Amino acid sequence: MSLNQVLVFLLLGLGSGGLIAGIGMGVVLSYRGAGVINISVGAIAMLAGFCYWALRTGDFGITFAAPWAVTLTLIFAIVLGLFFEGFCVRPLRRASPLAKLVATLGFLLSAQAAVILAFGESARPQPAILPGGTVLLFGGAVQINRFWIFGILLAITLLFAGIFRWTKFGLGTRAAAENEANATLFGLSPNRLSLVNTVAMSLTMGIVGLLAASIQSVDSQTLPLMVVPALAAAMFGSFTSFGITFVAGLLIGMAESLLTYFETFSWFPTSGGPGNPIPGVQELMIFVILVIAMLFRASRIPGRGDIIDRRLPAAPRPKAPMKGAIRWGALAAFAIWALPYGFREGLIYSLIATISLFSLVVITGYVGQLSVVQISLGGVAGFTVSHLFTNFGIAFPWAGIIGVIFAIVIGVISGFPALRVRGVGLVVVTLAATDAIQNFGFGNTTWGAGNTGAAVPSPSIFGFNFGSNATFHGLGGGEPSPLFGWFTLLLTIIIGLLICNLRRSGLGQEMLAVRANERAAAATGINVRNVKLIGFAIASGIAGVSGVLLAYSYGSITADSYGTLVALNFIAFGYIIGITTVPGAVQAAVGVPGGLFAFALLDWFGLQGNWLSFVGGFLLVLTLIHRPGGVALDIFYGPPKKPFKERPLGRMIFRPSPVLANGAAGADVTEGTTAGVSS
Amino acid sequence: MTTVLSAQGVSVSFGAVRALDGVDLEVQSDQLVGLIGPNGAGKTTFIDAVTGFVPSRGEITLGGRRISGMAPHDRARLRLARTWQTIELFDDLSVRENLSVSSRRSTMVSTVSEVLFGRPPRAEALAEEAMHLLELDEDAERMPNELPQGRRKLVGIARALASKPQLLLMDEPAAGLATNESLELGRILRNVVDSGLPILLVDHDMGLVLGICDYIYVLDFGKIIAQGTAEEIRHNPQVLAAYLGGSTSEAVATAEAAEEAAESEHAAK
Ligand SMILES: Nc1ncnc2c1ncn2[C@@H]1O[C@H](COP(=O)(O)OP(=O)(O)OP(=O)(O)O)[C@@H](O)[C@H]1O
Ligand SMILES: [Mg+2]
Repeated sequence: MSLNQVLVFLLLGLGSGGLIAGIGMGVVLSYRGAGVINISVGAIAMLAGFCYWALRTGDFGITFAAPWAVTLTLIFAIVLGLFFEGFCVRPLRRASPLAKLVATLGFLLSAQAAVILAFGESARPQPAILPGGTVLLFGGAVQINRFWIFGILLAITLLFAGIFRWTKFGLGTRAAAENEANATLFGLSPNRLSLVNTVAMSLTMGIVGLLAASIQSVDSQTLPLMVVPALAAAMFGSFTSFGITFVAGLLIGMAESLLTYFETFSWFPTSGGPGNPIPGVQELMIFVILVIAMLFRASRIPGRGDIIDRRLPAAPRPKAPMKGAIRWGALAAFAIWALPYGFREGLIYSLIATISLFSLVVITGYVGQLSVVQISLGGVAGFTVSHLFTNFGIAFPWAGIIGVIFAIVIGVISGFPALRVRGVGLVVVTLAATDAIQNFGFGNTTWGAGNTGAAVPSPSIFGFNFGSNATFHGLGGGEPSPLFGWFTLLLTIIIGLLICNLRRSGLGQEMLAVRANERAAAATGINVRNVKLIGFAIASGIAGVSGVLLAYSYGSITADSYGTLVALNFIAFGYIIGITTVPGAVQAAVGVPGGLFAFALLDWFGLQGNWLSFVGGFLLVLTLIHRPGGVALDIFYGPPKKPFKERPLGRMIFRPSPVLANGAAGADVTEGTTAGVSS
Repeated sequence: MTTVLSAQGVSVSFGAVRALDGVDLEVQSDQLVGLIGPNGAGKTTFIDAVTGFVPSRGEITLGGRRISGMAPHDRARLRLARTWQTIELFDDLSVRENLSVSSRRSTMVSTVSEVLFGRPPRAEALAEEAMHLLELDEDAERMPNELPQGRRKLVGIARALASKPQLLLMDEPAAGLATNESLELGRILRNVVDSGLPILLVDHDMGLVLGICDYIYVLDFGKIIAQGTAEEIRHNPQVLAAYLGGSTSEAVATAEAAEEAAESEHAAK
């Protein structure tokens, strides 16, 4: 290793570091302008990138020269910003920070699906707009475009920092962040401030999308997921400082670049033989950085002074769960036997997704922590099942049980940061965790699937195979076998009923108390920490069961089966239908991509799953605006009750209470005297 | 009579602000003790310090047991209950659940039997009793946000009572209540104390505090500036200067009126 080489790689890191910093700039603008932790900023950059690509290559029918394509792309970015403001930001102005974040998740999903539908999954080499060529520095060749990216983003950073410090607009935005009424004192409308900030964000993302062209090809994943390191960078700047975010973004990019250099050394850990550096180290590093940033800066994320009137949707007590279980269970059992195999496969996937969503019902609906990592925990269990078999010959049921236990252990460990951070912070941390687990864990050939996929044996007991490849094929014929479907259904029903019981139990009430008000919960003697950790343990166990079932149903698993996109889709559909109740989870699972509804769309109308994600993203935002509790809540539990009708307090007459009395003075209970002082 | 709460030299600082400065305060087992003081005097901070929600220096004992430094939920489990100035109900739980969650502690055994076998959680006699006491029965299945402010306050008090505390700290329970409502509340509190539960009452309503409390502490700028019976406080020149300010006669008048009203009602019984 030479110092010169290290320096060269650090300089090379200016490229991706600049992009991270740029996306971080978007995060800060969204936060300062509208109080939104915006996880779709990278997706907006991606849309701009694809726009530029299409204009330059003539994909839309006309090929434009670079200056025109750049201009049109920037106009497109502005239009995107206007749309984003009108659709995702303005209508949710008074929503909770979490609802705002989830809305941006909807936008992210729609944007990604749109790009895949329009341009396909493959990466597009993009015509670079920055000058090519290299300079020789420290004995290595460094592309000039790295310095351009650095310079342009530095200029943008200084511009924004200056605007926010010295102009009336900047002061107004800062004032509005504290208290919306303040902004009006400056003669500025809070709505207009928010609009200008959002457009500034989307324009910056347009520039990032254009610049990204010069160092990487455009695809539907890279830029959108770059929001994870960008969030880490913004976290260091407490979501408000442009300068700190810029520097932190650059440093993260440089560190990533340095890691790619280290990967070339023999001492770097490998997986799957020499020459294969262990994958996912970058993502792991970002996760660690984010946790560090979180622990040190989380308390410094400024609260905003706007009025918040919506919280997590209500989690009413289940009504007659047994009746529902029998009715719907019987119908599903029949369908599993009778449906043709494609529909059956969709139904079984929906059942497995139901269990995943049950885990969200517990952790989000009951404990009030929105965690993205649940699907990954399912993956932990799934891969454990696979490796227990291939490496140790352990099969059903022990492999499954150990897998679930393993998921619980990882889940509780990942729950520890949640004791310090909550709400939007937790979403950000668990998003990074999901990314890290997917790349570092599942992408690894030793304990994950590598690039190929890991085999999973069929479940069987006493030699009786009831896996998806069992010979019994039912009325509809074909695999997966109804036997496996029934097994899945049985577990779904059992877990569903247990969760209904949990809601009614003392522990469930403690969970909801914690969700509603942690301080008041502690003041009534609830150990908030323990309740949260128990919640994480239960939710992780349930997620583990779902992951094990998914592994069994496919017979082989890949990292993508439990990937970030799957997780985000599940959360989106959970939110649309209802993430806080059992019936909501069941219906949401019917709708998820890969589930029953998705197969019906494909079979009847030839619509791929991406259409579902595309529409789902929009539906998610609309739901958050119009039915913040999710659709199922209203169907199953009636429309929300009207807030109180004012009523006189009434006359209260004291009745002596033997139970409340502590004994001492219980005997001479008298009314309203002040003669109690005695010594 | 024993000392339930004893606070000695309790100090709390928020950065440069000394919210409490060496406060000494005691509550005896049969007392309704008042803590009054102007806005920002540190009353809420004192309750927070005793219940463990702000770090404090000094000695605090509850029923002879030292509780300084303990976590809030551990203090609560020693049967120290409080209400909040801002009510702070569990908005996702019905009124009945709000109360029962405070009177019951779930255990491993109870959880297993309730979750695995679907047993309904034990009915809480204390919760029902507290609900009765504050006449909340008809609201038992309502959610807190369906209730008007006054009743929400009562739910907060009932929730504290449902944990069968050995001491109850109340932060401005009468704020926002009409005069007759606050008199009603005063009578309830008086009776709760007489049935054996000591209370530390923080309130702005001079009439209420001077009318029903056995002993009163006056806090100003984080320091206790006076203490004594209602009579002593009413005539303490320091209190008059610091707390009652210009409107001395007015405050005394309301206090006396309140007392008279309470007495006449008592006589009418
Ligand atoms: N978390 C905090 N951080 C900083 N300062 C605080 C905090 N809480 C209270 N203070 C300050 O401590 C002092 C005492 O506040 P406290 O709320 O205890 O007063 P109070 O007597 O309850 O007033 P009120 O009658 O308005 O309820 C005030 O100056 C207040 O500004
Ligand atoms: Mg106060």
